[in-house]
Amino acid sequence: MDRRKFIKRTSLASGGLFFVPQFLKAFDQHIINPFSNKKIVIVHLKGGNDGLNTVVPFRNDIYFQKRQQLALSANEFFKITDEVALHNSLKPLQKLYNNGYLSIINNVGYPNPNRSHFRSSDIWQTASNSNEFLNTGWVGRYLDHTKSKPHNAIEVDESLSLLLKGKHQNGLALTNPKLLNRIVKEPFFSNVIQHYNDTHLSEHNLGYLYDSMINAESSAKYIYEKTKTQKSTQTYPKNVFGKQLKTIAEFINSGLETQVYYAGLNGFDTHVNQKNRQKKLLTIYADSIDAFIKDIEKNDSFKDVLVLTFSEFGRRVQQNASKGTDHGSANNVFILSKNLQKQGLYNNISNLQNLDENGDLKYTIDFREIYATILNNWLQVNDTKILNKSFSKLKFIKPNN
Amino acid sequence: MEAKHIKHLYNRIGFGITPNQTYHLVGLSKKEIVNQLFNTSKNTTPLTVKVDFNFNDLKDKTRRRELVKKSKRKLKEYNIAWIDRLFNPAELLREKMTLFWANHFVCKDNNILLVQQYNNLLRKNALGNFGDFVTKMAKEPAMLKYLNNRQNVKQNPNENFARELMELFTLGQGNYTEKDIKESARAFTGYSNNFKGEFILRKKKHDYDEKEFMGKTGNFYGEDIIEIILQQKQCARFISNKIYTYFVNDNINKDHINQMVSVFYPKYDIKELMKFVLLSDWFYADENIGVKIKSPIEFLVGINTIVPFTINNKKHTFLIQRLLGQTLLNPPNVAGWKGGRNWIDSNTIVTRLRLPSVLLNNAEISYSDKGEFEDTVTDFNEKKLRKKVAIATITKWNVFTENFKNITIDELTQQIIITTINSGTAQLLKDTKNVSKQDFCIQLLSLPEYQLC
Repeated sequence: MDRRKFIKRTSLASGGLFFVPQFLKAFDQHIINPFSNKKIVIVHLKGGNDGLNTVVPFRNDIYFQKRQQLALSANEFFKITDEVALHNSLKPLQKLYNNGYLSIINNVGYPNPNRSHFRSSDIWQTASNSNEFLNTGWVGRYLDHTKSKPHNAIEVDESLSLLLKGKHQNGLALTNPKLLNRIVKEPFFSNVIQHYNDTHLSEHNLGYLYDSMINAESSAKYIYEKTKTQKSTQTYPKNVFGKQLKTIAEFINSGLETQVYYAGLNGFDTHVNQKNRQKKLLTIYADSIDAFIKDIEKNDSFKDVLVLTFSEFGRRVQQNASKGTDHGSANNVFILSKNLQKQGLYNNISNLQNLDENGDLKYTIDFREIYATILNNWLQVNDTKILNKSFSKLKFIKPNN
Repeated sequence: MEAKHIKHLYNRIGFGITPNQTYHLVGLSKKEIVNQLFNTSKNTTPLTVKVDFNFNDLKDKTRRRELVKKSKRKLKEYNIAWIDRLFNPAELLREKMTLFWANHFVCKDNNILLVQQYNNLLRKNALGNFGDFVTKMAKEPAMLKYLNNRQNVKQNPNENFARELMELFTLGQGNYTEKDIKESARAFTGYSNNFKGEFILRKKKHDYDEKEFMGKTGNFYGEDIIEIILQQKQCARFISNKIYTYFVNDNINKDHINQMVSVFYPKYDIKELMKFVLLSDWFYADENIGVKIKSPIEFLVGINTIVPFTINNKKHTFLIQRLLGQTLLNPPNVAGWKGGRNWIDSNTIVTRLRLPSVLLNNAEISYSDKGEFEDTVTDFNEKKLRKKVAIATITKWNVFTENFKNITIDELTQQIIITTINSGTAQLLKDTKNVSKQDFCIQLLSLPEYQLC
């Protein structure tokens, strides 16, 4: 729908033409923004995925020694190089790998790793040092920096993670655009917005509250109007993660101006009987990703999308006594894109001989170098301003796409 | 005392007030009302839930995991007990101060026994002596655990506790050196606890050598370090700033802070400081009334003050806390909730404006189980995880009717909203006045203006 029609419809729907709805102001501001069509989808494997059993060093004796019951046997993985194999559950990604759309970055972590799920997730989300407490996420700061609106970053969930919270602007959490739109369209809610007549938005707390309300309303309306006709015909696995990716694909294919999407898959904290659990989870992950890529590819959107998959930490090399693994440190990160500069394994897999004092992998790539590269090469913004620090850029993505 | 000022006072040191209560206070002087507040908070009623297990059997891994699970269930119970307490507080000021300190000495743990002990330490010292408070906190097992002081040993000092002690608990960033941190960490080496939750000094792990801290030299223990910190006027200033931000205004007035510091330093009597603030003229200045954004807990408990309600399914209590962005006993990190405008994003504002209808009028709310890291999720079925619920409550509208019986619909607005209403919204309210008193009340609770106190 074009903008004129949109204005007409909303003013009619709200019944009053006397007050110009405030949210239209937001749109005017928005249109001025130059807008890049590049998007990132961030996937968090929550709980700490065991990277060693995901990207498997199947020729390494130490791997088998330390994981007597957990090491994958030959029929549980498929080779991608002479030294490295992937967990069989990731089979659906093989084609993407062969096409050169998958880059695996190994040994990603940060100095003085924290082994608490919460703390380490915060560190990944805020891009802070491990002894530093930030109240904004790096995506939130991206919104601040680009003077974006809430709908420019969407978490497919009911509540907003720190990742999407900025100093001045927050992203939006939503699972069902129809539902959110229905809530903000409730007569009382929209009446209050219609009647609000203070132009000094945001200067005092009351203005800030109204501003947030108006932003929520305009974003909800915008997303609903823009996406309501876009229904995916792709079949996805029937689980929460599949549903999240389906929603994201619908949003992307409908041409929504959202640049960052965030989704998560729970349950990777495999202290006990890891093998089955991880197998099941990785299957959910790979099947959903496979469906997702096919879906956006049909619409020729894959060329503008980069998928980043991370976990807050990896797991200990030595398995524990309960056929599981405990919290570790460095881990691998998956990048899916059609614009990879370096395809396949980005760097060598972990050195299992040189572990830290806890028996964990030592990181060789700071996770913030990945963020910096994405911000700089892909989203084409000043990464130093957003990460508050300069990090060296990696070469997994082609610059200036 | 003026009704408006009474309401303001109760918004800040409590969770609002009913017209009935206000009516009984109007004849009294400021001093009488404030003294009464302190008198009713003289005692401390500890908050406990019944726990019929202990943690002395932690060697065995399976057993330990079982205990952690049990303990987590108890923590949820404790969370609910805390909310219940806030809904019906006997020692109002003390409970509000407890919430304040819980976001100052921030701590989180899985062990219900330690959490309970820590939580009641906050409650007991909420209006006591700040110096004693910090010293006790430095020996509190939950805190020692949370800030890794159990790993702080002579052979390999861990600086986490020492750093946060100065950065977050006493002085604030920039008022100490890295060397001060290193030296003070040594003074706290060996500070640990036994499985019963009692403090112990592990003698073999303590560094008895000389330390140099803030220009002083000696064979300091942790207590000596705290002593030296308290001698810094900056400590009194740091705490005064924090109390001012929480109880008075996000924007600091330096003159007011200076006055507070001269009351607080060097005795560090919290009660005296709070009394000074609540008796000051500036506390009741117009610029300080109705300008703070309520915390989710203040918002939730505040609704209950106007229309008492109980949530039928206790699980929904967590859901509400999560959607609003503040789950008691589960702070985001050691710096706590940042507060103010940070409470508000597109999602929380929508939740807030909708919650009164959900709680009082059976409107629906949809949510999904985000799940916890430790969850052994075996069922990934979407339908089971994503739910749309009506949060069933029992609402005591009869109490509302009784408390507000002498209040006309016209007067209801200024009873419930303390700030000046946006003129457009005021017009809207005028136009929608021919609804029932109950419905009008829900409308008022659903306004952006109601988010302020």
